[in-house]
Amino acid sequence: MNNLNRLTIKISGESGQGINSIGEVVAKALKRSGFYSFGYREYPSLIKGGHAFHQIDFSDHALNSPSRESDVLLAISRVSLHEYLPTLRENGQVLHLVDSPEFSEKEEEIIKAKKIKIEFLPAFKMASEAGGNAIMSNVVMVGALWKHLGLDLEVISELIKEEFADKPDMLDANVACLKKGFDFAFQKLKNLSVNFSKDIKRRDDALLTGNHLLALGAVAAGVRAYFAYPMTPSSSILSYMADISHETGVLVKQLDDEISVAQAAIGAMFAGTRALVATSGGGFDLMTESVSLAAMTETPFVSVLAQRPGPSTGMPTWTAAGDLNLALYSGHGEFARCVLSLGDSDSAYTVIQKAFNLAEKYQIPVIVMTEKQIAESLFQVDKLPNDIEIERSLVEGSDLKNLAPSDRFKITKSGISPRWLPGQADAMFVANSDEHLEDGTLTEEALASLEMANKRMEKLKTLEEEIPEPVLIGPEKASCTLVSWGSTRNTICDVMELWNEKHPKKAFNLLNFEYLFPLRTEKLYTLISKKQKMILVENNYFGQLGNLITQVTGYKFEKRFLKYDGRPFFVEDLLEFLQGKEKIYG
Amino acid sequence: MADCDCGDKSHAHFADYFSANLYTWCTNCGNYGIHAAMKRALVEENVKPCQTLLCFDIGCNGNGADKIGGYRYHGLHGRTIAFACGASVANSRVKVIAFGGDGGTLGEGINHLVMGIRGNFNVMFILHNNLNYGLTTGQASATTKPGVKMNASPDGITFEPIHPMRFVLSLMPTFAARTFSGDIHHMVKTFQAGLNHKGFSFIEVLQSCPTYNRMTPHEWYQQRVKDVDDLKNYDASDLENALKISEDLEKEIRIGVLYQNKKSMPFMERQKNRIKVKSDLVDEVKAFDVGKLFDKFR
Repeated sequence: MNNLNRLTIKISGESGQGINSIGEVVAKALKRSGFYSFGYREYPSLIKGGHAFHQIDFSDHALNSPSRESDVLLAISRVSLHEYLPTLRENGQVLHLVDSPEFSEKEEEIIKAKKIKIEFLPAFKMASEAGGNAIMSNVVMVGALWKHLGLDLEVISELIKEEFADKPDMLDANVACLKKGFDFAFQKLKNLSVNFSKDIKRRDDALLTGNHLLALGAVAAGVRAYFAYPMTPSSSILSYMADISHETGVLVKQLDDEISVAQAAIGAMFAGTRALVATSGGGFDLMTESVSLAAMTETPFVSVLAQRPGPSTGMPTWTAAGDLNLALYSGHGEFARCVLSLGDSDSAYTVIQKAFNLAEKYQIPVIVMTEKQIAESLFQVDKLPNDIEIERSLVEGSDLKNLAPSDRFKITKSGISPRWLPGQADAMFVANSDEHLEDGTLTEEALASLEMANKRMEKLKTLEEEIPEPVLIGPEKASCTLVSWGSTRNTICDVMELWNEKHPKKAFNLLNFEYLFPLRTEKLYTLISKKQKMILVENNYFGQLGNLITQVTGYKFEKRFLKYDGRPFFVEDLLEFLQGKEKIYG
Repeated sequence: MADCDCGDKSHAHFADYFSANLYTWCTNCGNYGIHAAMKRALVEENVKPCQTLLCFDIGCNGNGADKIGGYRYHGLHGRTIAFACGASVANSRVKVIAFGGDGGTLGEGINHLVMGIRGNFNVMFILHNNLNYGLTTGQASATTKPGVKMNASPDGITFEPIHPMRFVLSLMPTFAARTFSGDIHHMVKTFQAGLNHKGFSFIEVLQSCPTYNRMTPHEWYQQRVKDVDDLKNYDASDLENALKISEDLEKEIRIGVLYQNKKSMPFMERQKNRIKVKSDLVDEVKAFDVGKLFDKFR
């Protein structure tokens, strides 16, 4: 076993070969066997061919981050066998179905140096012998993998039966293929006999992606309309919202572009329901004019900005956290906004709920940042966190009768004016994208426009006082504090457990930002005044959160650990960095 | 219209749509007539201001947003239809009417017009077609005729114009009408027909622009417009008919309800997951237990 207290299985093949289905079956079976897993996907932006993998890191404790290297490679295509062979750890083991593979000189060197063991399974032949078809060679491979892990056949067999419950004609052949693989007599590999600790019990957790959690969080928060235009990595929110639309009754519509999407959402929010939109960087670019409109007309607006590497089309199916500046500075003119970010599975569910409350109370655009790494990774979740209570902050009941049109954009100390909905009261107003007076009437007068601009900006101060400070995770006292946001927190937290136990004198903690803007600074100032060593860790080139912190506090990070190659921070990246071995980044 | 949420049971009055703000349009602008006709049509249909959401584009017509009663949204250039569509799905008790110019509707935001028609959203849309960009001082729009010299086009327009009705009819609309800003009576009856239509009603108003459109002034239209209601047995349910009769924009310009599909099924009625739902999206914002959905991932 490696020294990371986890085992890593990489299931690889071509796009379209069903590697995600295999991955999910294996992850589920591991969960039922009592383990915790984290599922990480790498795949190209195409439908058939190329090479892709679904990687499962698992252990006897919760995991939320991926490894760079794996212990076991399950290869179901020739290309993937060669592509991922070098990513194996020392003593790595390969199961493949590629008839007579030819390894290059360089590959032979790797195999020798890392003491890699390779096992070939005639999986197509085995599938046919078991009464199955060519595609069922995948199931043969899973059976063999399961045997290799030394786990109970019954657990995974039960799962295969559940998966094919609605296809009874294929059920028997699949179960037979699984058993055929399980009974395979390995020539080269030895069983891994996985056993982290003895008190492992069957677990009934859910396995789902960050996008699933976000969609569920939105539905729980009373979102009744979802508009989107497909763009990776936000697209699976759209498809999942559509899949559950008969259970939820939510109106889920793909519209003709992101501008329509943003406008329709602003229209629906203005009318008074809760509407959500999600997109990625390029789509958000198209929405930005509407973000500015929402701010000016004080209409709540919530958009998910699911990040992937840019600029332009960039790498559509890969990860990054390079759009914080876009969220912070998008839209013309100056206005108040709020930027939040997801990180772990809990926040994937709750942040969207907070976003709607803030958007409605402050009547501002709220941008919720996620990343492909959160959006599409498979998290193991025991139960959903508690829901955030819905706060609509609307004028209600008899108060609706006492309104005047000029209440709608009334100049108040907090900057927040009463909000009511079309059709609710006799007091009617115009929500005006032109600068306006308290009832929305257009104005270009110097004093009146200044007062209204100040009123809107006042909301930022009120908001800053309401939102919480960043959270310090880990030991109170530490030799250094890592500062981060987004999915990076998951790698940092997983590594923290490993590192701090082994290096108590070099223990670190994490200052994690879920609320990115406006920026709360009390904890930062405390750390700065104590001269605490702080290291910035971000999945982008500029160190965008770091630059925001510098802009607000004047503090400059001495050390920055930045990564922007389309990959998330792997556990090994951070460990090497802590050991002073980092070469590629920063 | 049904009673409004604020409980006022009185009939709508013309004066309810009054605004104390002064108009800022040119003398003889077609917009005056359009506002007057719209108010009259709403009152005739007993739609009270508190039951309306009037959505305005950026342009000369949009500058009327704060000069009329009702709930109003003065949005972005070209985007008003998309906004109105979103508002219309959320609350069926509020009548959503959108206004846009030929610039914002057939230039910058033409895709939203397509979406509104294809989706058959429950929106009445008024196209203020005055053949130019007025508020930016007389540049060409997508309906300006070729060869005409405009601001920023000193050598004349070299683009072929869009024929709005031909374009709209190609999209299989459920309601397409044309009227003229110089004929208040005709506008009122056309707007009333639009208000009673279920789904997206597209109404093109041939609008005079005394300042920047000297080619086709008020009198030019007045001599040419002819109501289809004056024809014997005009069949507005025939799309081919509508295409033919709406084609001429030079000699005999037909106005009136050119096409209507009386079996029109508006947007929300097309949503299978909402067919049995009686409430509106605005009524449904409350905590939703997602426990069962979550359990499916176990």
